[in-house]
Amino acid sequence: MCLKFGFGANSLEGSSLGGNGVTNMLHDLFYGFSIALQPVNLLLCFIGVLIGTLVGVLPGIGPAGAMSLLLPVTFGISPVGAIIMLAGIFYGAMYGGSTTSILINIPGEAASVVTCIDGYQMARQGRAGPALGIAAFGSFIAGTFGVVGLMLLATPLAEIAVKFGPAEYFSLVCLGLSVLIYLTQGSILNGLAMAGVGVFLSLIGQDVIQGTARFTFGLTGLIDGVGLIPLVMGFFGISEILLNLEKPQKRAILKTEIKSLFPSWEDWRRSIKPIARGTLLGFFLGILPGGGAVISSFISYALEKKFSRHPERFGKGAIEGVAGPESANNSASSGSFIPLFSLGIPSNVVMALLLGALMLHGLRPGPLMLTEHPEIFWGTVASMYVGNAMLLALNLPLIGMWVQILKIPYKTLFPLILLFCLIGSYSVSTNIFDIYVMLVFGGLGYFFRKFNYEPAPLVLAFVLGPLLEKNLRQSLILSDGSMEIFLTRPVSAGSLLISLFLLFSAVLPSLQKRRRTVITE
Amino acid sequence: MIRKRLRKIEGFFWMGLGTAICFLAWKVHLGTFLEPGPGFVAFASGLFLCIVGLIMALSQILSRISLESGFDLNLTFQNISWRRLAYTMALLIGYAVFLNALGYFLTTFLVMCGLLYDREKNNWLLSFVTSLVIVGGSYLVFEVWLRSQLPRGVFPWW
Repeated sequence: MCLKFGFGANSLEGSSLGGNGVTNMLHDLFYGFSIALQPVNLLLCFIGVLIGTLVGVLPGIGPAGAMSLLLPVTFGISPVGAIIMLAGIFYGAMYGGSTTSILINIPGEAASVVTCIDGYQMARQGRAGPALGIAAFGSFIAGTFGVVGLMLLATPLAEIAVKFGPAEYFSLVCLGLSVLIYLTQGSILNGLAMAGVGVFLSLIGQDVIQGTARFTFGLTGLIDGVGLIPLVMGFFGISEILLNLEKPQKRAILKTEIKSLFPSWEDWRRSIKPIARGTLLGFFLGILPGGGAVISSFISYALEKKFSRHPERFGKGAIEGVAGPESANNSASSGSFIPLFSLGIPSNVVMALLLGALMLHGLRPGPLMLTEHPEIFWGTVASMYVGNAMLLALNLPLIGMWVQILKIPYKTLFPLILLFCLIGSYSVSTNIFDIYVMLVFGGLGYFFRKFNYEPAPLVLAFVLGPLLEKNLRQSLILSDGSMEIFLTRPVSAGSLLISLFLLFSAVLPSLQKRRRTVITE
Repeated sequence: MIRKRLRKIEGFFWMGLGTAICFLAWKVHLGTFLEPGPGFVAFASGLFLCIVGLIMALSQILSRISLESGFDLNLTFQNISWRRLAYTMALLIGYAVFLNALGYFLTTFLVMCGLLYDREKNNWLLSFVTSLVIVGGSYLVFEVWLRSQLPRGVFPWW
């Protein structure tokens, strides 16, 4: 497939994993482009970024929901094409989310919440064009930088990760879950409870080591375990729709004339530093387990306000308040691919879905994936460059079209989303049982959310559960039943210490206060 | 006080669930630390839920730990259109019940009619036509393009 263009990925010794740095990396990148530029992959990338922008624009369905809806669709396409499309949805949503924030003061997805503050004020002052423009340009710059960072960091990290054993993997999974729970809004105890349930749900079905069926309650539909797609569609699709349906919604689109989408020189002068800071901050926060686009956009806003000589302008239409967070969330979306591709550990729910998609295609993400399936990593990296350019074209000249789409009433939209959920969960294994599973989790998800229990820790724990179990049991077998194995290895001990520190912060009032400040900011 | 009482109930709920998980795990064989069995990690997750639930239940004593978790029951469930939610869920359950028997076309059409029906405008014709378009379009996408095997039901020739 790739040899058509004369490129082939390097082996471990010869690749950027092994030695001879820049030349090999460029060679691998060309190999990636030879995959990403194939007509079918170009089309899938375009579909991905288009759907991503659409879900970003439309309030009520986020990237996680859209990706779970489209997971069954990817069965008919190649693994690399599937990942290119799903990744496109993720970073596309980061672009599109700003449109609703700026024009109707309703964030299309969580990472654009903070853009509402100054973006909407700019629109009210007749400056919707520059606000939308700087959001798109900032996103493009940050997204492109993020891909460069992903390319540079993923391979060296994978080289280190090859040396990791089950103890390190077990501890890193614990760390990922702890950070996510720590940063989830609301109580840490709620997050911990959801993670506990997620781990248990992941254990339903056949035992990974002995192959015996467990916790199936006599239901044949559970022998292969709870399906990722029905679970995610239930928690993110059905429950989200029930929450939106419970109260009548009214959207008012600001009637403002979008004169020019190009920011003035003064706008650029004010925005360039926030874009640079947001890009760097978002990228590094994206790499951290549990971090991601949402938290980086909030921290970027707080940072810009702190750096500004006129913090009083924030909240009244300061362009820095749009440029920084929008750059941060796009950069973070690229950064969050690093732990997935190099360690096989997703840093957030969206990455957990990508992990699920790779596993559904029979691939095992981890450090060896870069050498065993280089087409997945380099194809995705190259497609992200292409996708970012596509997004710039989609978001600037076509802004009028997205505004029109915003006018589609929710009562027309939600039956279509529900139909997608129903067919999607059914078609995975052509089994009605999966629809029931989805509806049960949809109902449960609704009540969990009403009682302030976020589904993200549950879904991440569900995806990581088998990895957690396998590595814990292997570690104990290797160490003759001694728990010391987790404390004698530096990476494992360090990860567990950080996890414990974060979880104990739920108990210590002084640290609890600090956490609340972080989340509030 | 109400918040703390609710927190206590939540705590007992998680403890109950955790205990049930521990029991199920014990039934499928726990194994030992030397050779962990299929129920080992499940037992740990059940135990973990029990501890979390215990901390929640003790919220009146350990008020500093779980004070932040409270929510306003009245506000959370205020002005909710339960009829609309029950109606939507009933249609979805109906879809699962009748899909195999009636087939994709008929079930999807009926459920879409129900979901699209606007009670304020009382316009059945519009929901009828829109449902037909959706059923046709989704059939093309899923059956023809993506080759999903949708149930034929009472119309086996489709």
